[in-house]
Amino acid sequence: MIKYVIRRLLYLIPVLLGVSFIIFVLFNLVSGDPTAVLLGKNATARQMAELREQLGLNKPLLEQYFDVVRSAFTFNFGTSWATKQDISQMIVQGAYPSLCLTLPAFVFATILSLVISLVAAFYRGKGIDLFVRIMCIAGVSVSALAYILFFQYFFAYKLGWFEISGFEYGFPDFVPYVALPAIIFVLLSLGPDVRFFRTVILDEIYQDYVRTARAKGLTEIVVLLKHVLRNALIPIITYVVIQIPSLILGALLLENFFSIPGLGGITLNALNSSDFPVIKAMAILSSVLYILLSLLTDVLYTFADPRVKLK
Amino acid sequence: MTSPLLSVKNLVVEFQTGEGITRAVNNISFDIPAGKTIGIVGESGSGKSVTSLAVMGLLQRPAARIPQGEVFFNGQDLLKFDESQMREIRGNQISMIFQEPMTSLNPVFKVADQIAETIRIHKSVSKKEAWDRAVDLMNQVGIPNPAQSAHKYPHEMSGGQKQRVMIAMAIACEPKLLIADEPTTALDVTIQKQVLDLLHKLQQQYQMSMMFITHDLGVIGDIADDVVVMYRSNVVEKNNADEIFTTAKHPYTKGLLACRPKLGANPRRLLTVSDFMDENGVEKHISAERVVVFDKEQEKEKSSDILLEVKNLVTHFPIKGGLFGRTVDHFRAVNDVSFTLKKGKTLGLVGESGCGKTTLGRSILRLVEPGSGSISYGGKDITHIYAEELRLLRRKMQIIFQDPYSSLNPRMTISEILTEPLNIHGVGNSRAERLSMAKELFEKVGLKASQLNRYPHEFSGGQRQRISIARALMLRPEFVVCDESVSALDVSIQAQVLNLLLDLQEEFHLTYIFISHDLSVVNFIADEVGVMNGGKIIEMDKANNIYKNPKEAYTRALLSAIPKGITKANLSALL
Amino acid sequence: MKENSLWKDAFRRLVTDKFALGSLLIVLTYAIVALLAASGLIAADWAKEVGGSNLPPSTEHWFGTDIFGRDVLAKLIRGTQIAMSVGLVTSLIAIPIGVILGALAGYFGGWVDDVITWLYTTFSSIPNIMLLISITMILGKGIFAVYIALGATSWVTLCRLIRGEVMKHKEREYVQAAEAIGGGHFRKLFIHILPNVTHIVIINTSLQFQFAIKSEVILSYLGLGVQGEPSWGTMIDDAKLELSRGVWWQLAGATLAMFVVVLAFNLLGDALRDSLDPKLKGK
Repeated sequence: MIKYVIRRLLYLIPVLLGVSFIIFVLFNLVSGDPTAVLLGKNATARQMAELREQLGLNKPLLEQYFDVVRSAFTFNFGTSWATKQDISQMIVQGAYPSLCLTLPAFVFATILSLVISLVAAFYRGKGIDLFVRIMCIAGVSVSALAYILFFQYFFAYKLGWFEISGFEYGFPDFVPYVALPAIIFVLLSLGPDVRFFRTVILDEIYQDYVRTARAKGLTEIVVLLKHVLRNALIPIITYVVIQIPSLILGALLLENFFSIPGLGGITLNALNSSDFPVIKAMAILSSVLYILLSLLTDVLYTFADPRVKLK
Repeated sequence: MTSPLLSVKNLVVEFQTGEGITRAVNNISFDIPAGKTIGIVGESGSGKSVTSLAVMGLLQRPAARIPQGEVFFNGQDLLKFDESQMREIRGNQISMIFQEPMTSLNPVFKVADQIAETIRIHKSVSKKEAWDRAVDLMNQVGIPNPAQSAHKYPHEMSGGQKQRVMIAMAIACEPKLLIADEPTTALDVTIQKQVLDLLHKLQQQYQMSMMFITHDLGVIGDIADDVVVMYRSNVVEKNNADEIFTTAKHPYTKGLLACRPKLGANPRRLLTVSDFMDENGVEKHISAERVVVFDKEQEKEKSSDILLEVKNLVTHFPIKGGLFGRTVDHFRAVNDVSFTLKKGKTLGLVGESGCGKTTLGRSILRLVEPGSGSISYGGKDITHIYAEELRLLRRKMQIIFQDPYSSLNPRMTISEILTEPLNIHGVGNSRAERLSMAKELFEKVGLKASQLNRYPHEFSGGQRQRISIARALMLRPEFVVCDESVSALDVSIQAQVLNLLLDLQEEFHLTYIFISHDLSVVNFIADEVGVMNGGKIIEMDKANNIYKNPKEAYTRALLSAIPKGITKANLSALL
Repeated sequence: MKENSLWKDAFRRLVTDKFALGSLLIVLTYAIVALLAASGLIAADWAKEVGGSNLPPSTEHWFGTDIFGRDVLAKLIRGTQIAMSVGLVTSLIAIPIGVILGALAGYFGGWVDDVITWLYTTFSSIPNIMLLISITMILGKGIFAVYIALGATSWVTLCRLIRGEVMKHKEREYVQAAEAIGGGHFRKLFIHILPNVTHIVIINTSLQFQFAIKSEVILSYLGLGVQGEPSWGTMIDDAKLELSRGVWWQLAGATLAMFVVVLAFNLLGDALRDSLDPKLKGK
């Protein structure tokens, strides 16, 4: 077990170097000279040279690359060009509103999706299943933008049930602000989640061991909840866990529409002000998180599936 | 006379398919008396498994329906039971063992938990009691170290052990009826014998009735009281086992009895179902010369040229381990094997799964790289030849695989499959010429030229194996490795393919290496037999000597595992 | 019985499925509209003022007019062209990369597999949306950046699927048989294995197309996509402010146009999976 985790940890090194390399290529090689953007059209050559020195753009490329790698470990991303704030601090501040919105919504969406897909699988081929399938496929076909616009307009603006935008720190003050975006988050997740879970569950339901379970005299519900679900859990774990990095990012669009000052909002602001360091920091941070979570899924596998060899 | 435990009356099962309704079971009736074993015999698709699923109430609805019939169990019609009543019966009064032990157990639960689950469904016992009972059952079905093995997961057990777990699960509630659906078909002959003995023992011990489904009449010779023979959805004959084995009435039954090769005395070509009846099921008369027993050792030596010489061959696979997955050791699949093979002869290799026989065959063909030792073919060392030379060698050496379903490319037509070897080697001057060569061989293996443009999935398993044979012979090789080439086929089809291989050997002067886990098959087709165990050939002798005077205990074990089938004396009685 | 290839079988199953056939027709219609728009035959003068500002739908202008008095239908048609071109170009980028890398990794294994697996693990480690944002931001706003960004993220899934499938087929006996008759690596991989995995490419493309269309809409909405031309995303962005004034037709038009084509691709993808994936045969 320990050996397996160590091996997976060691494998993180080349992946992390690779991710850093892609980010380095994008932001340090392809992006061109940012000084013109930062200083405006009237900048003198001297000012630009000074700024370049200040931003570390005159360093050898290899050193610049290692700066990127280093930041993946130290989370020291420098300062924002636009707000002049320390980026790590911005991220810590932004994480709170983002998580207030996405974490409960994510947990609820996952559980609800699992329940719906189990019900659909139980009644496979019957009316309920067909209804679920139609709703899912129609649901995922509507643009996320349309959902958000409509819900915000109708429930917050027209009916006034929720705050239209903004955020307040501390529980339960934030609830009226995040309730509507959280509901939309759940609705947006249901379609793809249920489709995936249902397919995985049905893949298992036709296996030989399920026939064995039925031949024992088990009820269909026990067959489903004990035998089938336990096996379907393995792909479901992967699917759920690797979604988490996008939670930290915040529901980008939701935060934008509802003016929630989370990480998604920070990212979009940085995007509009060409604030490269912030985008770069978000890319590095979310990748590191993804890599760590994929390690976590591998470890979870060993609990869910005894066939995974702990070599 | 008391009424039977299970009585199937006029049962019809139909399936709704894309093309309409097909009848899988057509108006069949049979009884299973209490405490007796009934064998249900027939080829794949004859409706025998569907019958058992209908009894269990496990048919896939709504695709399957039962428009007619009754299934009386203890005097009650199971077909009238609702789902909850059926659950009371399943696993408790009637239990079932399936064909595929590999996939029939839930991979994520411990085996003893899976056995205990059956007990806890039907009996009110504590978790601990159920577990202890499961361990006890594992002991009864002969799993070594039951207390430790109880904690194992299915993937940590061999196929034979998994089937024992399935059996333990099935007998856990001491059912009145045990349905065994081809329980030994996926197993090696030696394991098959053990499982059969075990089932027979348990059936006696618990006084159960048993419904034993198989395609191989020979298998149930030892254990069945009565036999029901099914052919194309119908019951064509039912009688007690002795009568079936001595005085079978239906030509199909006779065919089934005759098609299994016997140790030692066989006709020159095996009798098949088609010797006994024509395509419409009308009985045919067999000519006396078809059943004359043939002794291959009386035949004159055709030549004494040595075609293949293998010396001290070792083939190993790396075992990865350590933190970085380095090669830490080697597994010797073939360990120091030497033999010679004369032109026109057949060497049979026999042994259980994992004994190295398949790796040996592939190493000789250089499909797997040999580690050390040497292989010389026609006097030339081919152990280390490369590229162009190896390509030329492929014209002379061919292989026929085991699985008729995966050995043909599903996206190619038969004519593409058959002409491909010719294209690769530039044989034939034009497409038309290559096609006519393919057609000639296609007909030679017993298929119709009009089917050349079809795709593999449109053929049956036996037909596909014929196509594989045709492909292997397209380049007119001298030497062919038949790797378990008949193991996946029903016995009736197996006999046809064995006959075909012999016909082709005569016509094209082929030299064979014939690999199988079934000594009776090897004994029939081979001149010399090598018994393999643990990567070595432990005994090698003339085919007849191997069964007359086996020297090794392992060989004797293989011999005793062969199902009894039918005796020599009975062969003439069939006429 | 006539000879039936698996492809013909699959096609027959597909066209007998009413939903699949309908989806196929919708996709074709969108493709034709996009082609006509691209060649300038329709909606070429979308920027022309054809009536008053923000006119509601009428028989003359089915989807009304926008704030500058431009015909919303014409804008939708231009948007169709953008959406379909994004789907097409990203597929053209993703398919060759995904198939070739996936096939090489699955077939050769060893260090080739290690390198390619590392490559796609690396790419998939950067969350999709961050990679999309980063690439479009750095390459500068515009449709070109959207092509590259979506192309760079979409090959990964295909590569992984193809690799797994090729690994499975490599062990099948028909591939070993091809070696036994003297076939080399090229024959085994390209003539035998690849035709047996192409169904994955087809299914994946259908689903990839709808993902690309949805992503383009969001990127355009964020102002990263097409510039100076109408796209469904920019139309929704415009509508955001108009909605409170009761101008709903631009939003409805863009949403509907997108809904229909994404639904069609989804249904088609499902139907293709059912008819092409032999694993599901007989169920």
